[in-house]
Amino acid sequence: MKTQLNLQDADGFYEQLLDAHQGLSEQQSALLNARLILLLANQVGDAKVLKECVEAARTLP
Amino acid sequence: MADHYAETALTNGYEFARGSGYALPEYAFREPPEIASGQPSHHPIVIVGGGITGLSLACALAQYGVPAVLLDEDNTVGVKGASSRGICYTQKSLEIFERLGVYERIAAKGIQWSVGRTFAGQDEVYSFDLRQQSAYNLSTQPPFINIQQFYIEAFLVDRIMELGHIDLRWRNRVTAFQQDDECGTLSVTTPAGDYQVRADYVIDATGSHSPFRKWVGASVTAKKGDDRWCIADVRFQKHPPVERHTWIEAPFNENRAVWQHLMGDGVWRIDYQMAPDADPAEVSREDVVRERLARQFGADAGIEIVWVGPYAYRSECVDQMRHGRVFFMGDSAKVVSPFGARGGNTGIADADNLAWKLAAVLKGRAAPGLLESYHEERHEAACQNVLVTNRTARFLRPAGAAEKLFRDAALSLARQHPFARQFVNTGRMAIANPYTRSSACDTTGGLSVQNVGFEWPDGTPGRVNDLLRWAEGRLLVLVFGSVAPAALERLRGLCETAPMCCVQVLGPDEPASALEHVRDPKGHLQGACHVFGHAWALVRPDAYVAATGETVDAALVHAVGLALGTALEEDAA
Repeated sequence: MKTQLNLQDADGFYEQLLDAHQGLSEQQSALLNARLILLLANQVGDAKVLKECVEAARTLP
Repeated sequence: MADHYAETALTNGYEFARGSGYALPEYAFREPPEIASGQPSHHPIVIVGGGITGLSLACALAQYGVPAVLLDEDNTVGVKGASSRGICYTQKSLEIFERLGVYERIAAKGIQWSVGRTFAGQDEVYSFDLRQQSAYNLSTQPPFINIQQFYIEAFLVDRIMELGHIDLRWRNRVTAFQQDDECGTLSVTTPAGDYQVRADYVIDATGSHSPFRKWVGASVTAKKGDDRWCIADVRFQKHPPVERHTWIEAPFNENRAVWQHLMGDGVWRIDYQMAPDADPAEVSREDVVRERLARQFGADAGIEIVWVGPYAYRSECVDQMRHGRVFFMGDSAKVVSPFGARGGNTGIADADNLAWKLAAVLKGRAAPGLLESYHEERHEAACQNVLVTNRTARFLRPAGAAEKLFRDAALSLARQHPFARQFVNTGRMAIANPYTRSSACDTTGGLSVQNVGFEWPDGTPGRVNDLLRWAEGRLLVLVFGSVAPAALERLRGLCETAPMCCVQVLGPDEPASALEHVRDPKGHLQGACHVFGHAWALVRPDAYVAATGETVDAALVHAVGLALGTALEEDAA
């Protein structure tokens, strides 16, 4: 799992993500997020990386 | 006579509710000789339970010429009044049945299918054709045959009686068991009285209500859910296509799942997911069932209800598949949800796995230590099947809002993008489980060998099962390509000292050495053995490779030793 910056345009992606949720109900937002996770997971593919990402997401600071 | 093993609970056992039912064969009770003599008898093997697992084991032992006693509490196959259980038999099971000599009858009675379609709502999410998948297309047997379980059981009984060696005892119910250093002792009750029988090895094939678990103190890892289903086995005047259809969210079943499958006699199994914790009596009432069927097929489909069975499933697995003299197999060892046909098919594989090992040990060909590999191999398979079926169950019955959300996400993506179809889990069909931690297999082995075709030296077609039958329970070494004289000598020595047969496998034009040889013009046999180029494969009687290698050297000798549960070193040979 990469922990250093790998995004080409972090600010741009963050904005895009927020824009995608605009005007959505809580439920629609949740569905969008779930769909996005599955789409992104398929881009990653690597089982070990995905496992580490899931664990990292569960670990709050 | 005492009561049944246990109250028929709402478990994976199907209960008869209504329907015209099936006529089942009945087998005569004969008074066991121990009752008149008053003396317990002693047998090398006693099998308890005449379901598909126990009968598969008995038939395999009969084929190896090993005597055994089989005790069954009933006088028929199938559960009385609930004669339909498993319906879907995998290629591996069919290959085993071919070896046992009942495949032709199964193929004649059953229905072949290879196309499956999955729907969500009104839309088809994806479909598959198993015949197009390379994993299935080389075997002589099809990917699947659907047939009522009791037909296979009845064919096995006929075949066992034809082969001999097995003492089939109907209406003999085991009421108690104990074991010590000498033997296992079974107390048996029959209509003619009670008796005791002793055995070196006892096979528990009594099913999901196994009393042996308690008798031997077997620990069980279990999980239970609130998912409820109701089967309707029906005939149609106007029937649907011969395909496996599954719905995740069927509009005609309150957006719950539905399975639709064909089996023998033009009977269709329609399996409906019910509301969580639904009342089995209510959901299986005839008018309720009819209304449900009419919602799916219309009021004028001309439906005859053959059998109705509401069920809940649990997942259970014994932690040890062997306890002293007792071997657990089939549902006695593990219970899974029906998704993917991983119940009966793995019971058949349990039986095939233990049969050759017991036969080899009893004939003095293998060390008793080989029997330890039964647990190692089949417990790995059981755990895998529990894991896989639990994942399906979780997809079909999401546990909470988050799980439902991800299913909605997966289903919607599956309609748009091919990758997401893989998330849609309506059951992962049973496979021949690989063995990765068996003391009887090398790390290069542990994979199943499909029943592919080759050519005998005279050009006539042969199959892997022919070679296995010819080897009669011995190990089979297939050597691919030319063999150097020194290797030939080594193989000859090995075949003289170990219970092993050796066959050279040649391409169309390669010259044969002095060994027995066959030709593999299309390379199917080599592919089935998971090797390439010059190689050897050590094939077991259950059509699994124990090991593979490139050169005929000490590694082969070592692998033969492992597969026989003993240390075999070349210098000793």
